[in-house]
Amino acid sequence: MSDTGKTSAPAKVSPAGKVMRDGLWYNNPIFVQVLGICSTLAVTNNLRNTLIMVLGVSFATSMGSMTLSALRELIPRKVRMIVQVLVLSFYVIIIDIVLRAYQPAISKQLGPYVGLIITNCILMGRAEAFAASNPPGLAFLDGLANGLGYGWVLLVIAIVREFFGFGSLFGFKLVGDWFTPWTIMVMAPSAFFLVAIALWIANNYKAKVAAAAKAAAPGAAGAPAGQGGKP
Amino acid sequence: MKLNRNSVIYAAVFTFVVCVAFVIILAIANQVTLARVNANKRLESRTAVLKAFGLADSTTPSSEIDSKYTQLVTEKSVEKATAYTATIDGQTYVAVKLTMPGLWGPITAVLATDPAGTVVRGFEIVDQQETPGLGGRISEPWFSAQFKGKKVLPDGTIAFEQGSGKGNFDPNNGTVDAITGASRTSDFVRALVNRSLALARQIGGTL
Repeated sequence: MSDTGKTSAPAKVSPAGKVMRDGLWYNNPIFVQVLGICSTLAVTNNLRNTLIMVLGVSFATSMGSMTLSALRELIPRKVRMIVQVLVLSFYVIIIDIVLRAYQPAISKQLGPYVGLIITNCILMGRAEAFAASNPPGLAFLDGLANGLGYGWVLLVIAIVREFFGFGSLFGFKLVGDWFTPWTIMVMAPSAFFLVAIALWIANNYKAKVAAAAKAAAPGAAGAPAGQGGKP
Repeated sequence: MKLNRNSVIYAAVFTFVVCVAFVIILAIANQVTLARVNANKRLESRTAVLKAFGLADSTTPSSEIDSKYTQLVTEKSVEKATAYTATIDGQTYVAVKLTMPGLWGPITAVLATDPAGTVVRGFEIVDQQETPGLGGRISEPWFSAQFKGKKVLPDGTIAFEQGSGKGNFDPNNGTVDAITGASRTSDFVRALVNRSLALARQIGGTL
């Protein structure tokens, strides 16, 4: 996990503010930690599914992190991963049950993807890297920030994919019949291209900002844009 | 008394207690919502049957589905499928609800036709686990709309073809557009449709 702090937000802000900023930008799960890529490929061809997925991941990460953080003094080190998976999957199954009972249409459309939230590396990543050593309130915020940080990137990708793949946004047709949908945008390979392009833009921008900061204040500790390395 | 958190016994007891606690909560949540989930499933199946018969569409409020269904449709269990009959404007129609394999999981669909199985009345997917955005598009309205009033080919089947991707709505050619980027799912749906047609003819013959 890449929670080394070298790419973190400026230290002046409060712990809660820092956690939010880290999740949304400085330590964004997609751009920096490169976690949760599998679901990025799977659900982003449709905005509505993406939104539900993002809400599900945010809920499971924040609640799971909070619960694990509250239990952290009690969890024996030897079995901590087992307990993490148990708690996180508990919340994922809760999401599945609620969707099936109250939103059957969405539950049907998302099908297996809800259950697959548990395989999203962000959940275990935050449990291990943050919740295991921070108080529950902060762990909840960290989970939420990472869920939302993952979410906004996914939504941007989904906007591009749904628009070019179907000519619509949230299922509303935006272009006429003359438009031929780009089938590649609906299929997984397009997500590979788009995620790579988004990563490239974000890290390029980060490097530029860091270089500018360094030039403006020579001698001050600059924050080079770091790369995560987890597939 | 101080607990030794590193002992194997503590780890085992802790894991056991945590598992039991969370599983009990899940079991309760599942029980509480069970009736609702089953009601949702029944409503879904009834809506699909009514839609296939052309007795309901997506604007029909869900409160009317049950009364319409009990009033107009008779249900009969046949081998590995459920058969339905309904009399519309003096003419009897047959529908079959059948579950057959799909790419990732079973596909369940309702197909309604005249008793001779020569003209499809309607086709609705009830349940499927195909890839969202690709094979999952068999649940989109345009796909099932292609079957409405479609004349079956002389050999008693409906053909699936690589088309424009916008749907094939000519009622006389016995052909529908397959799903772009989902050849396997299209093959499975074709098998399901043609098996349903054969079953419907069989049931229609005994009426």
